[in-house]
Amino acid sequence: MMDLPNYFIADLPSHAELTPGMLTEACQALRRNRQQYLLGRPTQAIVDTLCEVAHNWLQPDDPFRAIALEQGPAATGFSRPTLERGLDALFKRINTTEVHALVLQELGHVERLDRFVVTEAELKTGRTAIATGPEMLVHFTAGNLPSPSILSLALGLLARSAQFVKCARGNDLLPRLFAHSLYAIEPKLASCLELATWEGGHRGLETALFDQADCVTAQGTDATLADIQSRLPQRVRFLGYGHRVSFGYVTREVLSRFHARELAAEAARDVAAWDQLGCLSPHLFYVESGGSVTPELFGQLLAEQLEKLQAVEPRAPLDPEVAAAVASRQSLYGVRAANCPDTRIWHSPDATAWTVVFEEDPRFQTSCLHRFIYVKGVSDPGEALQGAAAVQGAVSTVALAAMGTRAQELALELARWGVTRLCPVGRMQDPPLPWRHDGRPSLGDLVTWTDWEQ
Amino acid sequence: MADNQPRDFQQNRMTLDFFEDYRRRLTGRLAQDPGLTEGEFDRWALELFRLQYAHVTPYRRLCDRLGRTPDGVTHWSLIPSVPAAAFKEFDLTSLPERDRAEVFHSSGTTGQKPSRHYHSQSSLRCYTDLVIPWFKTHLLPDRERLTVISLVPSVDHAPHSSLAHMMDSVLRRCGLPDSVSLGRVTDEGAWVLDLDGLVGRLQRQAAADAACLVAGTAYGFVHLIDHLQLRKLHLPLPTGSRLMETGGYKGRSRELEKVELHRRLTQALGVPESHIVSEYGMSELGSQAYDRRVGASGPRVFRFPSWCRVRVLQPGSTLAPPSGTPGLLTLFDLANLRSVLALQTEDLGVAEGEGFAYVERARNAELRGCSRMHL
Repeated sequence: MMDLPNYFIADLPSHAELTPGMLTEACQALRRNRQQYLLGRPTQAIVDTLCEVAHNWLQPDDPFRAIALEQGPAATGFSRPTLERGLDALFKRINTTEVHALVLQELGHVERLDRFVVTEAELKTGRTAIATGPEMLVHFTAGNLPSPSILSLALGLLARSAQFVKCARGNDLLPRLFAHSLYAIEPKLASCLELATWEGGHRGLETALFDQADCVTAQGTDATLADIQSRLPQRVRFLGYGHRVSFGYVTREVLSRFHARELAAEAARDVAAWDQLGCLSPHLFYVESGGSVTPELFGQLLAEQLEKLQAVEPRAPLDPEVAAAVASRQSLYGVRAANCPDTRIWHSPDATAWTVVFEEDPRFQTSCLHRFIYVKGVSDPGEALQGAAAVQGAVSTVALAAMGTRAQELALELARWGVTRLCPVGRMQDPPLPWRHDGRPSLGDLVTWTDWEQ
Repeated sequence: MADNQPRDFQQNRMTLDFFEDYRRRLTGRLAQDPGLTEGEFDRWALELFRLQYAHVTPYRRLCDRLGRTPDGVTHWSLIPSVPAAAFKEFDLTSLPERDRAEVFHSSGTTGQKPSRHYHSQSSLRCYTDLVIPWFKTHLLPDRERLTVISLVPSVDHAPHSSLAHMMDSVLRRCGLPDSVSLGRVTDEGAWVLDLDGLVGRLQRQAAADAACLVAGTAYGFVHLIDHLQLRKLHLPLPTGSRLMETGGYKGRSRELEKVELHRRLTQALGVPESHIVSEYGMSELGSQAYDRRVGASGPRVFRFPSWCRVRVLQPGSTLAPPSGTPGLLTLFDLANLRSVLALQTEDLGVAEGEGFAYVERARNAELRGCSRMHL
């Protein structure tokens, strides 16, 4: 296995037993290190370090990237090309421009975390202000993808928080590698981070950790979030990111014979990214009828593109029970396709690697994921949104393929309906760094402000 | 008129005759010797496939779509299989409506559509006949009859349960006159046990030193165990007694791992592990598999009778997984006379010689319906 040094709790052999006392001590050390090494550091220095780490990850010969690609497939269940694409997309976003944009967007001034600064609006009211991050920030990360935990760590560093990441079991490799890559450049900054893994719900460990926390972020199911929140002391701020679903909406105007194939290729990339396992991955594409390319034909084009992608970016092998669930769905839709005029199915030859199901039925259908995508024909957005009523309020991203005034109208309609992010088809799993996670300012939600009226 | 109903009486007559003729010949052949060789099974299966292709419309459409029709399929293992879930949506039967004397429903979780497996009087008789020899081979290898205490409701109470029909046949043909069904059905359709009546009955068996066969679902047995534990009762059954447990839990009781369930059963009822037999069956399937012959020891392997064959396949593929790796169970059952003989289950198993070791059921959510099927 890998020989990363034991810098973090998560580096200890898996048989090493964690105790509540260990976590309390770790948090106390983190607080001291924060005081000493992080609190007084200028934002620009932190940005520089983060961008250097990200830049290194993008280099083909970076040792941490090499370990991630070598051991990642076994540890995370993603194929090497899927990991490569996902990590590239993530680390390209961590650059000076986007980090500055994030701080400016959420705090109004790039030096807001360093000193009292003033914006035009504040000037008019005779105030200056500074923002301060929580002293001790704790993250509970979900299992699916590595990117949210790495982004959480980056945000926490900007907020100058000491951070403790509780990784989902079996999903600590990439957050650990990220922490080690930071250590390699700035060991003092890395000494303000701690990572550990245990089976979620461990009362003893978690109580010790919550006692030390000032703010807790968590990703997971509604039940997990509610459980965590119910156990937090009153003074602890809680930021929960619940389960979300995403989908695509393709208007008839963009479905020319010329553009449809290209659009299908982009849609296939959305399906293949992280093997469709993130909240930002699409469960289905609503496709309007009445264009030169019918919704059904779009399904076929999408199938062709998924087959092409499979050759260069194969879907990860599945555990038998997951594969069985996918295969059972394929077989059932096979029977439907033979018997219903408005159902069709395309899938990888003799395998579960990818599946496209076309249905006229506009009701939202949750996919079994792992590159299993629905294409649903609709006559207008009203029909789609009525069909998606069951998931209203739980939708993250809609990939929108529309032009001109229709795009404007649709965007407004979707926003009012409750969608928190719109993006072009092909970019669903690649949000810009300053994106507002589930419609909330992610850095802004971490900090507390001090206004100074003069 | 629905598509899969014969258009006139004459055609109906002929359909019946084909299947009736097949049934007579098959049951006659099995009555002589229940063992079908591989070659014989292949011939019977291909013949039945031809009949079902011709007379089960949704199935024929599937075969056509897959391009695997009787003229092209040369071996039983290549006969297209139907996923068990399709029985919830399609009438996979060659029986015209007027001949559907009985329908078996799956015991799906509340709120889900049940599957429908239709029988005529004749195919029902075929089912209850074929249940017996394989049951006796495993549960009664040492005697002709025994007192059977069934935890399953009787056919009167659960007319649409394949298990109730099976146990009804077992009681009549393998049970001593004092055999009894102690399962009940609530107004909501849930299966329950008259636990006090059952315990009283088991106590009398013990007092009379009369061995018995207790048969029920896994969750029924869990209820019994919990009840005995609550009452601090230890109820050792007489030597020679045996248990048959079947089926999953579907949220109806605490779930116990099979090994744990058997251990607890031995503890509570004094029946040794060698006398506890697991049955594998489902409403969409005419035949049953058993994982042990009463009195035998050694690893448990489910085996079907010679007229039902199993293939363990890589999910989504027609290939077998590497040895020792779980795959989806696909069953080819000649007892599925009037439905479809090739059935793809949602169960995972590991191939063990001619049989399989059961692993678990694949997780799959209920899917929204196909809104405009033409049936």
